[in-house]
Amino acid sequence: MKVEIIAAATTKFGELWHRSPRDLAKEAVAGALIQAKINAKEIKALFVGNMLSSSLGGQDHLGAFFAEELKMTVPAMKIEGACASGGLAIHAGVMAVNSGLYDKVLVLGVEKMTDHKPEEVAQALMGAGSDMEREAGATFPALYALMARAHMDKYGTSEEELASVAVKNHYHASLNSHAQFRNTITVEQVLRSSMIASPLKLLDCSPITDGAAAVILTNNKKPVPTGRGGQITKSKKVINIIASAVATDTLGLAERKDLTTIYATVEASEKAYKEANIIPKEVDVAEVHDCFTIAEIIAMEDLGFFPKGQAGKAIKEGKTKLGKGSPVVNTSGGLKASGHPVGATGVKQIVEIYRQLKGIAGKQQVEGAKIGLTHNVGGSGATAVIHILRAE
Amino acid sequence: MISPVKIWRSQKKIQNSLGVSGKIISYTRVFVPPAGFESQAPYIVVIAKLEKGDKYTAQLVDWDEKHLQIGQKIMTVLRRTRDPGEEGVIPYGIKFKPL
Repeated sequence: MKVEIIAAATTKFGELWHRSPRDLAKEAVAGALIQAKINAKEIKALFVGNMLSSSLGGQDHLGAFFAEELKMTVPAMKIEGACASGGLAIHAGVMAVNSGLYDKVLVLGVEKMTDHKPEEVAQALMGAGSDMEREAGATFPALYALMARAHMDKYGTSEEELASVAVKNHYHASLNSHAQFRNTITVEQVLRSSMIASPLKLLDCSPITDGAAAVILTNNKKPVPTGRGGQITKSKKVINIIASAVATDTLGLAERKDLTTIYATVEASEKAYKEANIIPKEVDVAEVHDCFTIAEIIAMEDLGFFPKGQAGKAIKEGKTKLGKGSPVVNTSGGLKASGHPVGATGVKQIVEIYRQLKGIAGKQQVEGAKIGLTHNVGGSGATAVIHILRAE
Repeated sequence: MISPVKIWRSQKKIQNSLGVSGKIISYTRVFVPPAGFESQAPYIVVIAKLEKGDKYTAQLVDWDEKHLQIGQKIMTVLRRTRDPGEEGVIPYGIKFKPL
Protein backbone atom coordinates (compact mmCIF):
# COMPACT_ATOMS: atom_id res chain seq x y z
CA MET A 1 0.00 0.00 0.00
CA LYS A 2 1.22 3.47 -0.84
CA VAL A 3 -0.59 6.78 -0.46
CA GLU A 4 1.42 9.94 -0.81
CA ILE A 5 1.10 12.90 1.53
CA ILE A 6 1.66 16.08 -0.48
CA ALA A 7 0.91 18.59 2.26
CA ALA A 8 0.44 18.70 6.02
CA ALA A 9 -0.29 21.73 8.19
CA THR A 10 -1.69 22.64 11.59
CA THR A 11 -2.87 25.77 13.34
CA LYS A 12 -1.38 26.70 16.66
CA PHE A 13 -3.05 24.64 19.40
CA GLY A 14 -4.35 26.25 22.57
CA GLU A 15 -7.11 28.22 24.25
CA LEU A 16 -8.04 30.16 21.14
CA TRP A 17 -11.08 32.12 22.32
CA HIS A 18 -10.76 34.58 19.44
CA ARG A 19 -10.92 31.85 16.78
CA SER A 20 -13.99 30.00 15.49
CA PRO A 21 -13.98 26.44 14.11
CA ARG A 22 -14.34 27.99 10.64
CA ASP A 23 -11.24 30.17 11.15
CA LEU A 24 -9.23 27.22 12.40
CA ALA A 25 -10.25 24.99 9.48
CA LYS A 26 -9.53 27.70 6.94
CA GLU A 27 -6.06 28.38 8.32
CA ALA A 28 -5.03 24.71 8.39
CA VAL A 29 -6.40 24.03 4.89
CA ALA A 30 -4.87 27.19 3.40
CA GLY A 31 -1.53 26.12 4.82
CA ALA A 32 -1.85 22.71 3.21
CA LEU A 33 -2.95 24.04 -0.19
CA ILE A 34 -0.04 26.50 -0.31
CA GLN A 35 2.43 23.73 0.55
CA ALA A 36 0.98 21.40 -2.10
CA LYS A 37 0.95 24.25 -4.63
CA ILE A 38 -2.46 23.21 -5.83
CA ASN A 39 -5.78 24.92 -6.29
CA ALA A 40 -8.67 23.92 -4.02
CA LYS A 41 -10.52 22.82 -7.20
CA GLU A 42 -8.14 19.86 -7.53
CA ILE A 43 -9.45 18.36 -4.27
CA LYS A 44 -11.99 15.63 -5.04
CA ALA A 45 -13.33 14.86 -1.55
CA LEU A 46 -13.22 16.21 2.01
CA PHE A 47 -13.10 14.06 5.16
CA VAL A 48 -13.59 15.89 8.46
CA GLY A 49 -12.36 14.30 11.68
CA ASN A 50 -14.33 15.71 14.61
CA MET A 51 -15.92 14.42 17.79
CA LEU A 52 -17.86 17.12 19.63
CA SER A 53 -19.48 19.38 17.01
CA SER A 54 -22.82 17.80 17.84
CA SER A 55 -22.74 17.71 21.65
CA LEU A 56 -20.90 20.99 22.24
CA GLY A 57 -21.40 22.98 19.04
CA GLY A 58 -24.91 21.92 18.04
CA GLN A 59 -23.69 21.44 14.46
CA ASP A 60 -24.65 18.13 12.88
CA HIS A 61 -23.84 18.63 9.23
CA LEU A 62 -20.14 19.09 9.38
CA GLY A 63 -19.05 18.00 5.91
CA ALA A 64 -21.20 20.68 4.30
CA PHE A 65 -20.36 23.19 7.05
CA PHE A 66 -16.65 23.14 6.31
CA ALA A 67 -17.07 22.61 2.56
CA GLU A 68 -19.05 25.86 2.51
CA GLU A 69 -16.33 27.66 4.44
CA LEU A 70 -13.66 26.30 2.10
CA LYS A 71 -15.80 27.14 -0.96
CA MET A 72 -15.88 23.53 -2.09
CA THR A 73 -18.77 21.49 -3.47
CA VAL A 74 -17.02 18.11 -3.45
CA PRO A 75 -18.26 15.06 -1.50
CA ALA A 76 -17.74 16.01 2.17
CA MET A 77 -18.40 14.05 5.34
CA LYS A 78 -17.63 13.89 9.04
CA ILE A 79 -15.82 10.82 10.35
CA GLU A 80 -16.33 10.17 14.05
CA GLY A 81 -14.68 7.79 16.50
CA ALA A 82 -14.26 9.81 19.71
CA CYS A 83 -10.62 10.91 20.18
CA ALA A 84 -9.65 8.67 17.24
CA SER A 85 -11.85 10.70 14.85
CA GLY A 86 -8.79 12.31 13.23
CA GLY A 87 -7.00 9.00 12.70
CA LEU A 88 -10.17 7.47 11.30
CA ALA A 89 -10.59 10.43 8.92
CA ILE A 90 -7.05 9.77 7.63
CA HIS A 91 -7.97 6.09 7.29
CA ALA A 92 -11.08 7.10 5.29
CA GLY A 93 -8.93 9.35 3.10
CA VAL A 94 -6.46 6.53 2.51
CA MET A 95 -9.30 4.18 1.54
CA ALA A 96 -10.77 6.78 -0.82
CA VAL A 97 -7.46 7.40 -2.60
CA ASN A 98 -6.41 3.76 -2.59
CA SER A 99 -9.68 2.65 -4.13
CA GLY A 100 -9.06 4.95 -7.08
CA LEU A 101 -12.38 6.72 -6.52
CA TYR A 102 -10.73 10.09 -5.81
CA ASP A 103 -7.17 10.99 -6.80
CA LYS A 104 -6.69 13.83 -4.29
CA VAL A 105 -8.47 14.19 -0.97
CA LEU A 106 -8.31 16.65 1.88
CA VAL A 107 -8.45 15.35 5.45
CA LEU A 108 -9.29 17.99 8.03
CA GLY A 109 -9.24 17.42 11.78
CA VAL A 110 -10.83 20.15 13.86
CA GLU A 111 -12.15 20.66 17.38
CA LYS A 112 -13.36 23.65 19.38
CA MET A 113 -13.47 22.82 23.09
CA THR A 114 -12.62 25.86 25.20
CA ASP A 115 -15.92 27.70 24.66
CA HIS A 116 -17.54 25.46 27.28
CA LYS A 117 -17.43 24.84 31.05
CA PRO A 118 -15.18 21.97 32.24
CA GLU A 119 -18.15 19.87 33.50
CA GLU A 120 -19.85 20.26 30.11
CA VAL A 121 -16.70 19.21 28.28
CA ALA A 122 -16.19 16.27 30.67
CA GLN A 123 -19.78 15.18 30.10
CA ALA A 124 -19.52 15.59 26.31
CA LEU A 125 -16.28 13.58 26.24
CA MET A 126 -18.06 10.82 28.14
CA GLY A 127 -20.11 10.46 24.97
CA ALA A 128 -17.18 8.22 24.04
CA GLY A 129 -17.91 5.91 26.97
CA SER A 130 -20.62 3.39 27.80
CA ASP A 131 -23.98 3.91 29.60
CA MET A 132 -22.64 2.02 32.61
CA GLU A 133 -19.60 4.32 32.84
CA ARG A 134 -21.73 7.45 32.54
CA GLU A 135 -24.09 6.22 35.26
CA ALA A 136 -21.12 5.63 37.56
CA GLY A 137 -20.04 9.26 37.15
CA ALA A 138 -16.81 8.14 35.51
CA THR A 139 -14.83 10.68 33.49
CA PHE A 140 -12.05 9.98 31.01
CA PRO A 141 -9.41 10.75 33.64
CA ALA A 142 -11.25 8.24 35.88
CA LEU A 143 -11.20 5.48 33.24
CA TYR A 144 -7.48 5.95 32.59
CA ALA A 145 -6.92 6.18 36.36
CA LEU A 146 -8.53 2.73 36.66
CA MET A 147 -6.04 1.46 34.06
CA ALA A 148 -3.18 3.20 35.86
CA ARG A 149 -4.09 1.65 39.22
CA ALA A 150 -4.29 -1.81 37.66
CA HIS A 151 -0.95 -1.30 35.82
CA MET A 152 0.72 -0.10 39.03
CA ASP A 153 -0.65 -3.11 40.90
CA LYS A 154 0.42 -5.64 38.26
CA TYR A 155 3.81 -4.24 37.20
CA GLY A 156 4.86 -1.92 40.02
CA THR A 157 4.65 1.15 37.77
CA SER A 158 5.23 4.24 39.93
CA GLU A 159 3.72 7.72 40.02
CA GLU A 160 7.22 9.10 39.22
CA GLU A 161 7.28 7.01 36.05
CA LEU A 162 3.88 8.39 35.08
CA ALA A 163 5.13 11.91 35.78
CA SER A 164 8.23 11.41 33.63
CA VAL A 165 6.00 11.01 30.55
CA ALA A 166 4.60 14.51 31.12
CA VAL A 167 8.08 15.93 31.80
CA LYS A 168 9.43 14.52 28.51
CA ASN A 169 6.45 15.70 26.48
CA HIS A 170 6.57 19.21 27.94
CA TYR A 171 10.27 19.33 27.02
CA HIS A 172 9.45 18.37 23.43
CA ALA A 173 6.59 20.91 23.33
CA SER A 174 8.98 23.63 24.50
CA LEU A 175 10.65 23.21 21.08
CA ASN A 176 7.37 23.27 19.12
CA SER A 177 6.07 26.74 18.22
CA HIS A 178 2.54 25.36 17.62
CA ALA A 179 2.20 23.63 21.01
CA GLN A 180 -0.27 24.69 23.70
CA PHE A 181 2.18 24.42 26.62
CA ARG A 182 5.76 25.45 25.93
CA ASN A 183 6.95 25.42 29.55
CA THR A 184 9.17 22.65 30.84
CA ILE A 185 8.09 20.95 34.07
CA THR A 186 9.65 18.68 36.70
CA VAL A 187 8.58 15.35 38.17
CA GLU A 188 8.01 17.13 41.52
CA GLN A 189 5.64 19.64 39.90
CA VAL A 190 3.61 16.80 38.39
CA LEU A 191 3.44 14.97 41.72
CA ARG A 192 2.37 18.15 43.54
CA SER A 193 -0.32 19.15 41.02
CA SER A 194 -3.93 18.76 42.10
CA MET A 195 -5.58 15.35 42.03
CA ILE A 196 -8.07 14.82 39.19
CA ALA A 197 -8.84 11.09 39.49
CA SER A 198 -6.35 9.28 41.71
CA PRO A 199 -3.57 8.43 40.92
CA LEU A 200 -3.77 10.88 37.97
CA LYS A 201 -3.02 14.50 38.74
CA LEU A 202 -3.60 17.63 36.68
CA LEU A 203 -0.19 17.38 35.00
CA ASP A 204 -0.79 13.72 34.09
CA CYS A 205 -3.72 14.84 31.91
CA SER A 206 -3.86 16.29 28.42
CA PRO A 207 -5.61 19.66 28.29
CA ILE A 208 -8.80 20.98 26.69
CA THR A 209 -7.69 22.49 23.38
CA ASP A 210 -8.84 24.25 20.23
CA GLY A 211 -7.06 23.49 16.98
CA ALA A 212 -7.15 22.15 13.46
CA ALA A 213 -4.87 20.13 11.19
CA ALA A 214 -5.07 19.34 7.48
CA VAL A 215 -3.43 16.79 5.23
CA ILE A 216 -3.70 16.28 1.46
CA LEU A 217 -3.43 12.70 0.22
CA THR A 218 -2.97 11.52 -3.36
CA ASN A 219 -2.39 8.41 -5.38
CA ASN A 220 -0.80 10.57 -8.03
CA LYS A 221 2.24 8.79 -9.38
CA LYS A 222 3.70 12.01 -10.79
CA PRO A 223 6.41 13.57 -8.64
CA VAL A 224 5.29 16.65 -6.75
CA PRO A 225 6.94 19.81 -8.06
CA THR A 226 9.23 21.37 -5.51
CA GLY A 227 9.10 25.10 -6.09
CA ARG A 228 11.42 27.81 -4.91
CA GLY A 229 11.19 29.25 -1.44
CA GLY A 230 9.38 27.82 1.55
CA GLN A 231 10.15 24.74 3.52
CA ILE A 232 9.28 22.26 0.82
CA THR A 233 12.41 22.99 -1.21
CA LYS A 234 14.51 21.75 1.68
CA SER A 235 13.69 18.19 0.83
CA LYS A 236 12.72 16.29 -2.28
CA LYS A 237 11.80 13.28 -0.20
CA VAL A 238 8.42 11.78 -0.91
CA ILE A 239 6.45 10.84 2.19
CA ASN A 240 4.12 7.87 1.84
CA ILE A 241 1.64 6.24 4.15
CA ILE A 242 2.62 2.58 3.86
CA ALA A 243 0.16 1.15 6.37
CA SER A 244 -3.21 2.25 7.73
CA ALA A 245 -4.87 -0.07 10.23
CA VAL A 246 -7.84 0.15 12.59
CA ALA A 247 -9.03 -2.21 15.33
CA THR A 248 -12.08 -2.09 17.58
CA ASP A 249 -12.63 -3.47 21.10
CA THR A 250 -15.56 -3.23 23.54
CA LEU A 251 -16.94 0.26 24.13
CA GLY A 252 -16.73 -0.04 27.90
CA LEU A 253 -13.48 -0.54 29.82
CA ALA A 254 -14.88 -3.12 32.27
CA GLU A 255 -15.85 -5.50 29.47
CA ARG A 256 -12.21 -5.89 28.31
CA LYS A 257 -10.04 -8.92 29.04
CA ASP A 258 -7.79 -6.88 31.34
CA LEU A 259 -7.14 -3.25 32.16
CA THR A 260 -3.38 -3.06 31.56
CA THR A 261 -3.36 -3.61 27.79
CA ILE A 262 -5.28 -1.86 25.02
CA TYR A 263 -5.93 -4.82 22.75
CA ALA A 264 -7.15 -2.62 19.91
CA THR A 265 -3.66 -1.06 19.82
CA VAL A 266 -2.02 -4.49 19.80
CA GLU A 267 -4.22 -5.73 16.97
CA ALA A 268 -4.05 -2.58 14.82
CA SER A 269 -0.27 -2.29 15.21
CA GLU A 270 0.29 -5.94 14.32
CA LYS A 271 -1.76 -5.43 11.16
CA ALA A 272 0.15 -2.23 10.35
CA TYR A 273 3.62 -3.73 10.89
CA LYS A 274 2.65 -6.64 8.64
CA GLU A 275 1.28 -4.32 5.95
CA ALA A 276 4.41 -2.12 6.08
CA ASN A 277 6.66 -5.16 6.36
CA ILE A 278 8.64 -3.69 9.25
CA ILE A 279 9.30 -4.54 12.90
CA PRO A 280 8.79 -2.10 15.80
CA LYS A 281 12.57 -1.57 16.13
CA GLU A 282 12.69 0.07 12.71
CA VAL A 283 10.46 2.96 13.81
CA ASP A 284 12.58 6.12 14.25
CA VAL A 285 9.89 8.49 15.48
CA ALA A 286 6.37 8.01 16.80
CA GLU A 287 3.41 10.14 17.83
CA VAL A 288 1.40 8.12 20.33
CA HIS A 289 -1.89 8.80 22.10
CA ASP A 290 -0.82 10.17 25.50
CA CYS A 291 -4.20 11.54 26.58
CA PHE A 292 -2.95 10.64 30.06
CA THR A 293 0.58 9.71 31.11
CA ILE A 294 -0.43 6.09 31.75
CA ALA A 295 -1.72 5.91 28.15
CA GLU A 296 1.78 6.53 26.76
CA ILE A 297 3.27 3.84 29.01
CA ILE A 298 0.65 1.29 27.94
CA ALA A 299 1.03 2.35 24.28
CA MET A 300 4.81 1.86 24.35
CA GLU A 301 4.24 -1.71 25.50
CA ASP A 302 1.29 -2.52 23.24
CA LEU A 303 3.11 -1.15 20.17
CA GLY A 304 5.97 -3.54 20.85
CA PHE A 305 8.60 -0.91 21.73
CA PHE A 306 9.14 -2.30 25.25
CA PRO A 307 8.13 -5.53 27.01
CA LYS A 308 5.00 -5.39 29.18
CA GLY A 309 5.66 -3.62 32.46
CA GLN A 310 8.96 -2.03 31.39
CA ALA A 311 7.93 1.11 29.52
CA GLY A 312 7.56 3.32 32.61
CA LYS A 313 11.15 2.71 33.63
CA ALA A 314 12.42 3.15 30.05
CA ILE A 315 10.64 6.49 29.63
CA LYS A 316 11.97 7.68 33.00
CA GLU A 317 15.48 6.80 31.81
CA GLY A 318 14.98 8.96 28.70
CA LYS A 319 14.88 6.12 26.20
CA THR A 320 12.21 7.84 24.12
CA LYS A 321 13.42 11.41 24.49
CA LEU A 322 14.78 13.62 21.71
CA GLY A 323 18.56 13.33 21.42
CA LYS A 324 19.13 9.78 22.56
CA GLY A 325 15.81 7.98 22.26
CA SER A 326 14.85 5.27 19.82
CA PRO A 327 12.12 5.61 18.85
CA VAL A 328 11.75 9.24 19.85
CA VAL A 329 8.17 9.55 21.05
CA ASN A 330 5.85 12.54 20.85
CA THR A 331 8.25 15.11 19.40
CA SER A 332 5.28 17.50 19.02
CA GLY A 333 4.79 17.39 22.78
CA GLY A 334 2.07 14.79 22.37
CA LEU A 335 -1.49 15.29 23.48
CA LYS A 336 -0.18 16.21 26.93
CA ALA A 337 1.73 19.35 25.99
CA SER A 338 1.03 20.10 22.33
CA GLY A 339 -2.66 19.93 23.24
CA HIS A 340 -5.56 17.61 22.47
CA PRO A 341 -8.30 19.08 20.28
CA VAL A 342 -9.81 15.62 20.13
CA GLY A 343 -10.92 15.35 16.49
CA ALA A 344 -7.79 17.14 15.24
CA THR A 345 -5.27 15.05 17.17
CA GLY A 346 -5.08 12.08 14.79
CA VAL A 347 -4.47 14.41 11.84
CA LYS A 348 -1.91 16.48 13.76
CA GLN A 349 0.03 13.28 14.51
CA ILE A 350 0.34 12.68 10.76
CA VAL A 351 1.46 16.30 10.26
CA GLU A 352 4.21 15.92 12.87
CA ILE A 353 5.51 12.64 11.42
CA TYR A 354 5.36 14.08 7.88
CA ARG A 355 7.52 17.02 9.02
CA GLN A 356 9.94 14.69 10.79
CA LEU A 357 10.40 12.43 7.77
CA LYS A 358 10.65 15.40 5.43
CA GLY A 359 13.40 16.82 7.64
CA ILE A 360 11.58 20.10 8.28
CA ALA A 361 10.64 19.60 11.94
CA GLY A 362 12.90 22.39 13.16
CA LYS A 363 14.15 22.23 16.74
CA GLN A 364 12.37 18.96 17.46
CA GLN A 365 13.87 17.22 14.40
CA VAL A 366 14.94 13.59 14.87
CA GLU A 367 18.06 13.38 12.71
CA GLY A 368 17.79 10.93 9.83
CA ALA A 369 14.27 9.76 10.63
CA LYS A 370 13.00 7.52 7.84
CA ILE A 371 10.12 5.55 9.32
CA GLY A 372 7.45 7.06 11.55
CA LEU A 373 4.34 5.75 13.29
CA THR A 374 1.16 7.37 14.57
CA HIS A 375 -1.12 5.85 17.22
CA ASN A 376 -4.54 7.39 17.81
CA VAL A 377 -7.00 5.97 20.36
CA GLY A 378 -10.73 6.53 20.78
CA GLY A 379 -12.38 6.37 24.19
CA SER A 380 -10.68 4.19 26.76
CA GLY A 381 -9.31 1.97 23.97
CA ALA A 382 -12.38 0.89 22.00
CA THR A 383 -10.83 2.24 18.78
CA ALA A 384 -7.18 2.29 17.80
CA VAL A 385 -5.79 3.65 14.54
CA ILE A 386 -2.19 3.09 13.44
CA HIS A 387 -0.44 4.69 10.49
CA ILE A 388 3.09 3.98 9.34
CA LEU A 389 4.84 6.55 7.16
CA ARG A 390 8.09 6.22 5.23
CA ALA A 391 10.36 8.73 3.48
CA GLU A 392 11.30 7.51 0.03
CA MET B 1 -32.67 16.08 31.55
CA ILE B 2 -32.43 12.31 31.10
CA SER B 3 -35.35 10.88 29.16
CA PRO B 4 -37.87 9.24 31.57
CA VAL B 5 -38.37 6.51 28.98
CA LYS B 6 -34.66 5.72 29.02
CA ILE B 7 -34.71 5.53 32.82
CA TRP B 8 -37.81 3.27 32.77
CA ARG B 9 -36.16 0.97 30.20
CA SER B 10 -32.83 0.67 31.99
CA GLN B 11 -34.31 0.30 35.48
CA LYS B 12 -36.20 -2.82 34.44
CA LYS B 13 -32.86 -4.60 34.20
CA ILE B 14 -31.56 -3.55 37.61
CA GLN B 15 -33.26 -6.11 39.86
CA ASN B 16 -31.28 -9.00 38.37
CA SER B 17 -28.04 -7.27 39.34
CA LEU B 18 -28.84 -6.56 43.00
CA GLY B 19 -27.28 -8.37 45.94
CA VAL B 20 -24.46 -9.77 43.83
CA SER B 21 -21.03 -9.98 45.44
CA GLY B 22 -17.66 -9.48 43.80
CA LYS B 23 -14.13 -8.09 44.18
CA ILE B 24 -12.55 -4.75 43.32
CA ILE B 25 -10.11 -5.05 40.42
CA SER B 26 -9.36 -1.31 40.19
CA TYR B 27 -10.51 1.94 41.79
CA THR B 28 -10.07 5.70 41.53
CA ARG B 29 -11.20 8.71 43.53
CA VAL B 30 -12.80 11.25 41.19
CA PHE B 31 -12.23 14.88 42.20
CA VAL B 32 -13.36 16.54 38.95
CA PRO B 33 -16.84 15.23 38.08
CA PRO B 34 -18.93 15.48 34.92
CA ALA B 35 -22.19 17.47 34.88
CA GLY B 36 -24.83 15.83 37.08
CA PHE B 37 -22.32 14.55 39.65
CA GLU B 38 -20.97 17.83 41.07
CA SER B 39 -22.69 17.40 44.46
CA GLN B 40 -21.20 13.92 45.01
CA ALA B 41 -17.52 14.69 44.30
CA PRO B 42 -15.10 13.47 45.41
CA TYR B 43 -16.38 9.92 44.98
CA ILE B 44 -14.94 6.48 44.29
CA VAL B 45 -15.41 4.72 40.95
CA VAL B 46 -14.63 1.02 40.90
CA ILE B 47 -14.42 -1.80 38.39
CA ALA B 48 -15.38 -5.03 40.14
CA LYS B 49 -15.43 -8.61 38.99
CA LEU B 50 -18.77 -10.11 40.01
CA GLU B 51 -19.57 -13.70 41.05
CA LYS B 52 -20.52 -14.87 37.58
CA GLY B 53 -17.29 -13.48 36.15
CA ASP B 54 -18.62 -10.38 34.41
CA LYS B 55 -17.11 -7.01 35.26
CA TYR B 56 -19.03 -3.90 36.22
CA THR B 57 -18.20 -0.21 36.63
CA ALA B 58 -19.98 1.63 39.46
CA GLN B 59 -19.43 3.91 42.43
CA LEU B 60 -18.40 2.62 45.84
CA VAL B 61 -20.51 3.86 48.77
CA ASP B 62 -20.29 3.56 52.58
CA TRP B 63 -16.52 3.07 52.39
CA ASP B 64 -13.50 3.71 54.62
CA GLU B 65 -9.89 4.17 53.50
CA LYS B 66 -9.18 0.50 54.37
CA HIS B 67 -11.64 -0.60 51.67
CA LEU B 68 -9.72 1.13 48.90
CA GLN B 69 -7.68 -1.80 47.70
CA ILE B 70 -7.65 -4.27 44.86
CA GLY B 71 -9.23 -7.54 46.02
CA GLN B 72 -11.68 -5.86 48.46
CA LYS B 73 -15.00 -7.74 48.54
CA ILE B 74 -18.11 -5.75 47.58
CA MET B 75 -21.82 -6.25 47.02
CA THR B 76 -24.16 -4.51 44.56
CA VAL B 77 -26.82 -2.20 46.04
CA LEU B 78 -29.46 0.17 44.68
CA ARG B 79 -28.69 3.89 45.00
CA ARG B 80 -29.54 7.21 43.41
CA THR B 81 -27.09 7.95 40.60
CA ARG B 82 -26.93 11.38 38.96
CA ASP B 83 -28.65 14.63 39.92
CA PRO B 84 -31.77 14.86 37.73
CA GLY B 85 -32.23 18.61 38.17
CA GLU B 86 -35.44 20.13 39.52
CA GLU B 87 -37.91 18.47 37.17
CA GLY B 88 -36.24 15.24 36.03
CA VAL B 89 -37.11 11.70 37.11
CA ILE B 90 -34.71 10.55 39.83
CA PRO B 91 -32.49 7.85 38.31
CA TYR B 92 -31.54 4.83 40.41
CA GLY B 93 -28.79 2.38 39.55
CA ILE B 94 -26.19 -0.06 40.77
CA LYS B 95 -23.49 0.96 43.24
CA PHE B 96 -21.17 -1.18 45.35
CA LYS B 97 -20.76 -1.30 49.11
CA PRO B 98 -17.80 -2.96 50.84
CA LEU B 99 -18.37 -6.32 52.56
